[in-house]
Amino acid sequence: MNRDPHQQARELIAFGSQGLTDSQRAQLSAHLDECAACRDYAQAAEQLVRSLRSVPLAADRTLVRTTQMRVRRHATQLQQEQERLWLVWMSCILVGLSAAITTPLLWRGFQWLGEWARVSSPVWQVGFMVFWISPALAASLIFLARGIHLTDTNGTSQG
Amino acid sequence: MNAAACYFVNGMESETSAIARGLRRRDPDLLDRLIEQYQHRLLRYLIYLTSNRELAEDMFQETWIRVLERGHQYKPEYEFSTWLFSIARNLTVDYLRKKKPASLDGLLDEEEGVSLDPPDLRPSALELVARHEQAEQISAALVGIAAEYREAIVLRFQEGLALEEIAAVTGAPLGTVKSRLYRGLNALLPRLKGAQA
Repeated sequence: MNRDPHQQARELIAFGSQGLTDSQRAQLSAHLDECAACRDYAQAAEQLVRSLRSVPLAADRTLVRTTQMRVRRHATQLQQEQERLWLVWMSCILVGLSAAITTPLLWRGFQWLGEWARVSSPVWQVGFMVFWISPALAASLIFLARGIHLTDTNGTSQG
Repeated sequence: MNAAACYFVNGMESETSAIARGLRRRDPDLLDRLIEQYQHRLLRYLIYLTSNRELAEDMFQETWIRVLERGHQYKPEYEFSTWLFSIARNLTVDYLRKKKPASLDGLLDEEEGVSLDPPDLRPSALELVARHEQAEQISAALVGIAAEYREAIVLRFQEGLALEEIAAVTGAPLGTVKSRLYRGLNALLPRLKGAQA
């Protein structure tokens, strides 16, 4: 089915000359040579594009400066957050390593203490568990409190 | 590809690679330079997208904050301006969606022919920035057409983006972009004919 050549030409005009292939450009040119109405349309479109490009819309200095300052401030905040996160990761790795090294020693220490105090195995084992887990519990509570505090602060400042 | 074209493409790639590296490092000097370089183009696009200079200026700032945060996602194979415009567009669409869900039909739907006049459009919003008579006429004519047509026209003819780049910015298929340009031009020309006569 053949499409309406005028509509086809106007579509090509609407895509802009840089968006056309060589054959489309040749096809359009041939059609414009023989169709006055589409030629007028092309001229009007060309005039519109020229006018559009001449519209003086510009950002003012204050906006640019404010944006640059905001971006710099935000970049510093992100950098600080990243450094804090790095410290937390390093701490976690160190804690993990030291736990892996010291846990067997602590286990033996508690075993020796249990035998010396003549208490049954489950008692010193529970003691070991409490001793072993309490630093992690304390750290979790501190982080939780800190997290809630940060959420509250952000909520207040954003609200 | 001839030598000049090859030089041009390589030059563009090295520039976008430098931008990508700088964005990954969150280099504030690079961001300063990019803000300077793209200030007018970005603001112009946002003004036509929102039809409101105040909102456009807010979105302008938010766009650069987002560029800083998401800089590592920029791929140097693409033009920086395409990525920048798509960030600006997504932020604006998200903002308008939260504010007035009904006002975004034209920018979100794939269907053509949906007429959109932003409900918060004030007649003087674009007049404030249009300095002379012709600019006022063009601004008024642009505001009078559907938002998705206006966006396509502005990106193609004012910002000089290729059809494929407009498709990337708007997230619409290439055929839809072509159709929007054609329909947009058809809607715009009669409005300007009277003004230019």
